[in-house]
Amino acid sequence: MLLDPGVIFGQLLGGLSRAMILFLLSSGLSLTFGVMNILNFAHATLWLLGGYITFSIFTYFGEFLGENGWVLALAIVFGTSIMVGVGYLIERFLIRRMYGRELPEQLLLTFALILIIGDLIKLVWGVEDRSIYLPIEPLEMLDTYVNPYYFVIVSSGIAVAAGLWWFLQKTRYGMIVRAAVYSRDMVSALGIRIPLIYAGVFALGIGIAAFAAGVFLPLMPMALGVDIDLIIQCFAVVVIGGFGSILGTFVASIIVGVVYSFSILIWPDGALAVVFLIVIAVLIWRPWGLFGTELRY
Amino acid sequence: MSTKRPHISDHKWEQVLKSMDRREFIVTSAAAGVLTMVPRFAQAAADTYRLGLLLPVTGTGANYADGGIKAVMNATAAINAKGGFLGKHPIEVSYRDTHTKPDIAAREARDLISRENVQTIVGTYSSACAMAIQEIIHERKILHLAATSNSSKIVNENFTPYTYQFCPNSKMQSGSVVVAVAEMIKKNGWKTYVTIGQDYEWGRDTQKGFVTALARKSPATKLKKELWFKLGETEFSSYISAIMASKPDFAYGAIAGKDNRTFIRQAQAMGLFKRVAYPGGLISVTEMQQQRKSLPRGMIGLARCPFFAHLDQPLMQKYIKMHRAKHDAYPTDWACMHYDAIYGLEQAIDKIGNIGTEAVKAALKGATMDTCRGKATFRDCNNQLNIPAGYVGAVWDSPDYPFPIFNPDTMIIVKAEEVWTPTCDDVRKLQKKRA
Repeated sequence: MLLDPGVIFGQLLGGLSRAMILFLLSSGLSLTFGVMNILNFAHATLWLLGGYITFSIFTYFGEFLGENGWVLALAIVFGTSIMVGVGYLIERFLIRRMYGRELPEQLLLTFALILIIGDLIKLVWGVEDRSIYLPIEPLEMLDTYVNPYYFVIVSSGIAVAAGLWWFLQKTRYGMIVRAAVYSRDMVSALGIRIPLIYAGVFALGIGIAAFAAGVFLPLMPMALGVDIDLIIQCFAVVVIGGFGSILGTFVASIIVGVVYSFSILIWPDGALAVVFLIVIAVLIWRPWGLFGTELRY
Repeated sequence: MSTKRPHISDHKWEQVLKSMDRREFIVTSAAAGVLTMVPRFAQAAADTYRLGLLLPVTGTGANYADGGIKAVMNATAAINAKGGFLGKHPIEVSYRDTHTKPDIAAREARDLISRENVQTIVGTYSSACAMAIQEIIHERKILHLAATSNSSKIVNENFTPYTYQFCPNSKMQSGSVVVAVAEMIKKNGWKTYVTIGQDYEWGRDTQKGFVTALARKSPATKLKKELWFKLGETEFSSYISAIMASKPDFAYGAIAGKDNRTFIRQAQAMGLFKRVAYPGGLISVTEMQQQRKSLPRGMIGLARCPFFAHLDQPLMQKYIKMHRAKHDAYPTDWACMHYDAIYGLEQAIDKIGNIGTEAVKAALKGATMDTCRGKATFRDCNNQLNIPAGYVGAVWDSPDYPFPIFNPDTMIIVKAEEVWTPTCDDVRKLQKKRA
């Protein structure tokens, strides 16, 4: 059974899909920590808020234009834009006050955000799950069925990874961001406004999360509590990959997703344990993560 | 919240609830929380019947709890409009969110008992939450109406005389699925199957009930693989691929709540149902309403208390009318079971003419009562109501509703006595294990 190409393909695609979901969520978390030294525990909750907002926009436009993939794309653009603004405001009014503070204080603030945003979601959208329906027909490949939408998710993950790499490595703004990781004072001495850089990075992280939420909407309902489940997996990914390393986050997401997927096939009862064994191994042998730097650690 | 409703008193539920929706419920709950800090008047304390409502608005159970919350609020409002229980004991509901987590449920139950002095706790949804509070309610001698929490352990291994179960327990539910699946095995010549379930008390208990009952009914049918996923899973593709890779004749799912919706959605898009039959998964009215467009027609599902199966029952007619008037929606299974719990409590109180907990407990013992599922009696040995064990049917587009229901022509309603633990001696043997 294990050598069946259809089985391997099915598990691989499932694993990659899980990997890209984790990457899209974790990359903003990793970026925020890497650049700003802020551990945003509310990252997944802001992802959830982005999902609800995108859902509402999709429903609104869907009434006039019909509920289809194009309307979803439109909703994702609007939802992401709104959340970029929300991210900017949160950094401007809350996160900014946490720079240089101890980790527990950051966690307290961001945990408070989880509770506040959770209650806000209850007030605005209620407690029922929210999801959208796109009539997705399964695709038959290699003697198995696959969900064609997984190709959209995998492509989105790769596109975001490539976009982030290009941004950080090839643009002037990206170079400033990287420089700020190592010496804020020097960057500031060059006349570059560090607060603006930080606000931009935080908004970008939240924007990626909101984009991810919109992309996931046809597959998973947005519901209270999902954020808490996901943030733990995100932390596992960034610990393995190394806080602050986008490449590390990408590779770690693939490791976690694919290992988890094949573990379900081979040893279903231990699938989650296998993932956390990797986390433990990394914490023991390379606490700064596979692609993190000792300096950062 | 509207400025017309600034105060929420024990006597004004009707006005409060007339225009209440989910969002306003949250605001109302917050206001109720503030009110608990205000010293109470002695007279109100003496006359009021305090009811604790423990349901999740967070976590995988939130999807079902919405119906339960609405039902309890509607039913208590209607009873309060007549002056309360016995016309003189208005009901005050104190709501707490369990987050679908047993430790939080236990903490909130203790708080409801100690600070709010509740006499009865209704709800809990998650079986793990129900079992977590059973020790507490047993010790503090508080009634517990398990409206939807249905692990069989609640009434067997973990039995306490203070818990009354208004829903079919997991063994009854699994047994009812087995009745239908055994027919399909015979008809289709199925030989192997795979199970997938939520890795917590209810999922494990339901799966075990199904596997055990099927082994008795159809011993030649072999279980090839068991898959378990953590509560709140969001990505099922690897599980679905693993099911297809096992090439079973059918798959059985012990999945409920948000996870059920996510699983069905992803399984459908991955073509699982084209390759592997999936009979007997939970398809309550919630799923029928929420997935009205996507739910595969013809899929065989299980419901616990679907309104359309008992349209001839006066109580069901009353619930439908009440629910539609307030929410412009048909009541879900979870709403119906909560309506039954509240009106069951009212019937017991009416019978004895007082609201004392021990007296009400004694009145419920072995009581026969009207429910939306017809007349039903609590089993003497474990307080399990003998309502139908399950409704197994094929998803079908009805001209009467804006969502699919089970085809009434083929729906099987399995009686409790056909599938529950056969004798009270057997039940007592299980209960002894608790001690």
